[in-house]
Parts: sequence; C-alpha cells; structure tokens
Amino acid sequence: MIYVLYFIVLLICIYTARHYWFTLNRLFGFQRHPYIDIDTADWPPVTVLVAAHNEEKVIANILSALMTVKYPEDKMLVIPVNDRSTDRTREIIDEFVERFPGRIRPFHRRAGKGGKAAALKDAMELVTTEVILIFDADYIPGAGLIKQLVAPFFDPEIGGVMGRVVPLNVGTNLLTRLLDLERSGGYQVDQQARMNLRLVPQHGGTVAGVRLSALREIGGWNDNSLTEDTDLTYRLLLHGWKTAYQNRSECYEEVPETWSVRIKQIMRWAKGHNQAMVTYGLHLLLGKHRATLRERIDGTLLLGVYAMAPITLFGWLLALIVFYQGVAPLHGIIAVLSITAYAAIGNLAAFFEIAAAVRLDGMRRRICLLPFLILGFGVSIFSVSRAALSQVSDLATGAEFHWDKTERFRKAL
Amino acid sequence: MNPYLAVAALVGVVSLMLLLPLVPALVELRRKSDAAPLNVIQQHAGEIRHFANSFRTYIKELEPALQQCVASGTNDSGTMADGEEYVVLGRADQPLLVALQQHDAIRPVVIAAGTDVVMPPESTFSKEIYAGGRFLGGEKNNYRAILGEREVHLGGSSCVMRWVHAVDDFTADLGCRLYGRVSSDAVIRLHADCNFLRLNAPRIEIGQAADHLDPTPPGSTLPANLGTGASRRFFHDGDFKIRAGEVISGNLVIRGKLRIGAGARVCGSVKSDDDMVVENGVSVEGSLISAQQMRIGPHCAVHGPVIAERGLAIASGTRCGSGENPTTVSAPRIEVEEGVVVFGSLWAREYGQVVAKG
Repeated sequence: MIYVLYFIVLLICIYTARHYWFTLNRLFGFQRHPYIDIDTADWPPVTVLVAAHNEEKVIANILSALMTVKYPEDKMLVIPVNDRSTDRTREIIDEFVERFPGRIRPFHRRAGKGGKAAALKDAMELVTTEVILIFDADYIPGAGLIKQLVAPFFDPEIGGVMGRVVPLNVGTNLLTRLLDLERSGGYQVDQQARMNLRLVPQHGGTVAGVRLSALREIGGWNDNSLTEDTDLTYRLLLHGWKTAYQNRSECYEEVPETWSVRIKQIMRWAKGHNQAMVTYGLHLLLGKHRATLRERIDGTLLLGVYAMAPITLFGWLLALIVFYQGVAPLHGIIAVLSITAYAAIGNLAAFFEIAAAVRLDGMRRRICLLPFLILGFGVSIFSVSRAALSQVSDLATGAEFHWDKTERFRKAL
Repeated sequence: MNPYLAVAALVGVVSLMLLLPLVPALVELRRKSDAAPLNVIQQHAGEIRHFANSFRTYIKELEPALQQCVASGTNDSGTMADGEEYVVLGRADQPLLVALQQHDAIRPVVIAAGTDVVMPPESTFSKEIYAGGRFLGGEKNNYRAILGEREVHLGGSSCVMRWVHAVDDFTADLGCRLYGRVSSDAVIRLHADCNFLRLNAPRIEIGQAADHLDPTPPGSTLPANLGTGASRRFFHDGDFKIRAGEVISGNLVIRGKLRIGAGARVCGSVKSDDDMVVENGVSVEGSLISAQQMRIGPHCAVHGPVIAERGLAIASGTRCGSGENPTTVSAPRIEVEEGVVVFGSLWAREYGQVVAKG
C-alpha cells in the first residue's frame, strides 16, 4: 500500500514540476509566435463551421461577426451546422442566409446521432476547402481572427490550429470570475508554453481550424468521442500533424454562470479526456509513429490531467489509512520535510501559474481572487472524480455515453 | 478567565487569522474593480496602416485651414481641439520651418503641409507630419511619424521613430533607421545600410539593383495557396538535400536541416525543423518555413510566405511573392541584400538590415 502511495506522490510531483516549467517558460523563455506576422498572402478558400444546437440566444451574434471579418468574401463560406435545434435557431440562420446571399450555406440536421462531432461529421459533405475553421455558436470572432487562424496552414506540417478563448461574461458572479482566471492560466501559460517548447498544444474544437487532407487522413471526426477536440489532437499527432496554438488569436466566449452547468461541462470534458487516454495513451507513449520523445511525454501527461483528480483523492485516502496503520513513510523526518517542502512549493504551483497568466495579460486586481480558486479546484476534483467513477460503472453496465450541451446565459438579440 | 469565553476568543482569533488573507479577495469580489473581459482587439488586428488612418481622421479638423492656406499661399498656426499646437503650410516654406527651429529641433508642433514640402536637414520633428503633396526630407533628420498623400523621400541617415505611410512611393536613402511601421500604397525603396522593422507595400525594392528585376517570378504557374487539397506530403527524419535542378511536386516536411540545391524547383511548400539553405536560382511555388535560420538566394523565387523562427538572410536577385499574389516574409532578424524584391510584407520583429550587394 505504501508503494502505491509513493507512486501517487511521484505523479503529483511530476505535474507540479510541469506547472512550474510551463510558468517559468512563459515568464522568461523564448516565445514562439511564428505565424502571427503573416498579414499578407494569397489567402486560401476557407469554410467556417458554426456548431449550433438550440442556440437562438447567441447564433445571431456570431453570424453577424463573421459577416464583418477581414477575409476575402469570395474565399470564405460560413456553414452554420444546425444540429436538430427545436428553438428559433433555424429561423435566425435562414434570415442571415437571405441577408447575405452566397456567403452562408446552412446545414440543417434533423436527425442522427447526438453530439457535436456527429453533427460536424455530417456537415463535411458540404465542405470542399482545404482549410476548415470551427466555432461554437457562443463565440464572437474579431475582424482579423480568420486570417490569423488560417495563417498557420501555410506550414505544411500543421494539421490543426487553436486560438485563445477569452470569457466575455467575467463580472457576472464568483464562478465566472474563477473561470476567467482558469482560462487565463490554461491559455496564456499552459497552451503557449506547450507551443514554445514544441510539445502538444491542445485543439479546443472551437476558435480552431483543421486541414481537410489531415482530417481525411486520420479518418474524419470521431462521433464516438465526447470531446472531439482532444480526440482530434491525438489522432493528428499520431499521424505526424502538428497543432499550432495562436495566443494572440483571441475570441470571446460565454462561460457557465451556474455551478450545475459548470459541473456538467467539466464532467463531459473529463469523460472525453479519459476516453482519449484509454484509446491513445499507450500507443502515444510507446507506439511507432511520428511524435517526438518530448511530444510523447507531454502528450501522455496531458491525457492524464483529468485522471489525476481521482488519483489524488485516492492518495489522500491512502495517506489516512497509512497514518492510522502506524506506518511511517520513508523515515519520519524525511516524510515531514517532504510534506513541508511540498506544502511550501507544490501546493502553490497552479496558483503561481494563474497569477503569472493574469500578470501577462496585464491585469492587476483580479489576482486578489486567487484564494477563491480553492473552491473551484474543490468542485472540480470531486466532479471529475465522479465522472471517472461513472465512466467505470458505465463500462461495466454497457451504458452509452450521453452528450450534454452547455447551457447559454446571454439574452437573445 | 471564563473557559467558554477563552474558547470563543480562540475560535474568533483563529477565524480572523484565516479570513484575513481573504479580505482583498472579498473586497475585489464586491467592488468588481477588475471584472471587465480581457480587451481583445476586435477591429484593427495589427493592420499596418492603423496609425496612419487614425492620424488622417485626426487631421481632418485642419482640412478647411489647409485648403484656405493652399488657395492663398499663406501659412497658419493654432491649437487643435485636444490642445496640440499645429502649423499649416500653404506653400513650400523651408524658412518658416527654420524659424520654428529651437537649437537642433523643430518646436514640437503637428505640421500639416498642403503642397510639396522640403524639410531642412539635421532637424528633429517630434510631432506627426502630414504632407498633402510630395515630402522631401533633408539628411540626418529625426521624425516621429509621417503621412504623405504623395511620394515620401527621406534623406540619408534619417530616422523614423513610429510610422510612415505614403500613398505613392516611399524612398529611404542610405543609412536610414525605420523603427515601427512603414507602408506605401505603391512602392517602398530602401537603400543600403537602412534598418527596418515592419514594411508593407505592393512592391518593396531593396537597393538600386532591384529596379532592373522582372516583376513576375519565372515559372510560377501553380497557385501558392492551400486550395489544391490533394497535395502530397513527404516526411524525412534527419538532414536532407534536394539535388540541384531537381523538381519536387508536393509538400515537404524535414525533421532536420535542409539544403535545396541550385536551380531546383519545388511545386509545393517546404518546412524544416532546423536550418534551411536555399541555393542559387531555386523556385518554390508554396511557402518556406524554417524553425531555425534560413538563407535564400541569390536569384530565387518564392511564391508563398517565408517564415524563419530565428533569422533570415536573403541574397540579391531574389523575389518573394508576386504583383498578383503578395506575400509575407517574416523573422525576428532579417538581413536583405540589395537587389531583392518583396511583394507584400517584410517583417523583422527585432531587427532588419539592408546590406550592400555581396
């Protein structure tokens, strides 16, 4: 039992070191933004897919924004993927089709398998361009965003592109403010550090792009996946395609405003991520493919991120059991010193990362909210663990995955 | 002391100690002093002409005064709505500018000229200049920013701190230092020893020799963009060399150093994870991307974007992009030899230098 505990502690230490490595790289390392300077080019034709399932509150915002972006009009086609909506989504899309003839081709999906990946898979019959961009309906792209997301595809090694997600409804309540901090850490530090260090930036499935030939090579969208973005990241990687992260390609999104919606969202992400871990983890680490050694290691650690929540909980439980069994891990004094050192440095890793991200964003006073992140982490660790447990029980009972759409809070136009 | 009171006091003090670090958080949560979304640049998105366009809007206020001064051949001065002092020149009036001279600098005023204007040498202009006609700068001048509705010509060893935009041609003589953005709607010409950061024009000519170049690259029949879809992709782990004169059809990804032999032609895009050397007379229909250093030329033609993550040297006679399909050439440090033409953007993030032909 004690050796299991040692192993868990080792894992936690690896993730802690990773947090510090990424943060220090962002603060002091060489920053890679190789494609952001491409402002003049023979821009390729592009298809913009907008995934929409009951999005009457937000769909008009994104379509309006897309109609005003700076990209040659004759080279950009917007396909709103209306996935079995039962609200006014279809009606709103059709109004835009009339207002902007030839620039929007709607895809109204009436039946079929649920989930974003399944809808995107069906919409591919309308796509003929080599570059595809994907947005969720609650995003609001800026004028220069399309060019910025297309630019990395001039590199023949790039199969996927990911932009930065920025919460719009930050000031609503404590949850949105905590999510704003989390997003800062995740993108400004985590994703950009992975880009800098040539590791595995993650495709987020929105504010993102994919190369059609790469998508075909890896077998298209996987509609059995709960998180098609994670699935796509790893299949591209295994086939020798890189995903580029563009930190300056920012796009507003709406974050959940209630804890119940947030819990549902993170549970879906956790299940999808764990699903990808089981599917690709071993092959990525040890298999024969084109990923480099550092990509193999980072990719595996990234796959394990959500698994760490139940592992940590289990570690806490083991530590208690070991304590009451009277077992002294290592020699008592070493254990005490280790725990003290970890308490002083290790526990701060994630907070340090987020504080650095907020500083890099040029924000000041929101750093004061850092102590409240304990609350967010607490909710996440239990939700993610619950997701992992339900996934195991689903596996045992043969229950199918259920895809939950994230609820929107914006008022309809 | 009452033990109940002691326990209550202890609990109270401990609670206070625990809550103390949360006070700034609670205050911020209540006040929402920093709760606005991160400012995402929605509109200009790095548009090179952004400052020039903003200045054109700003200067509109002086349009009636400019027209009046041009019609009457007089000069005028005054204060803008935001308190900035200005001088309006209705005729080419170097004596007036000399009169504004204070030691080695012109008094900090926005200068708006309605006609051709010739600037005295060895002067510093610390406010923006608007030129409705041709702008001819003397040698060893320092400028903050210039907007020219016709040609802008800077004398040798001049310096621009922020931006220049010329509606017609822009020329910088020997040894100019161009910090910030330089754009033209026609041609940018830089002579030897000029430093630059960000240039954008339909045609950028480096040095005298560039004038004699054919504006269209030879043999560029394939589209440089990504529209072909079915392009093949070749991988190679380790260093690689494309033999001289060889024709490659498809995209290349090299996980090592790459050398493209003289006269080779690549009908596709090329990426190397290490240094890349492109020898004499190579033609590339797509893009050239290197994760390290890149050396191109002489006499090469590259149709698509050229990106080097560490440094880039371009030798004489090389053309990047074409009149019909402009492109971007970008690296942190760029060294360009006289005789190079770039159609589109030439962007050195840290330092760009024109060097005399070899």
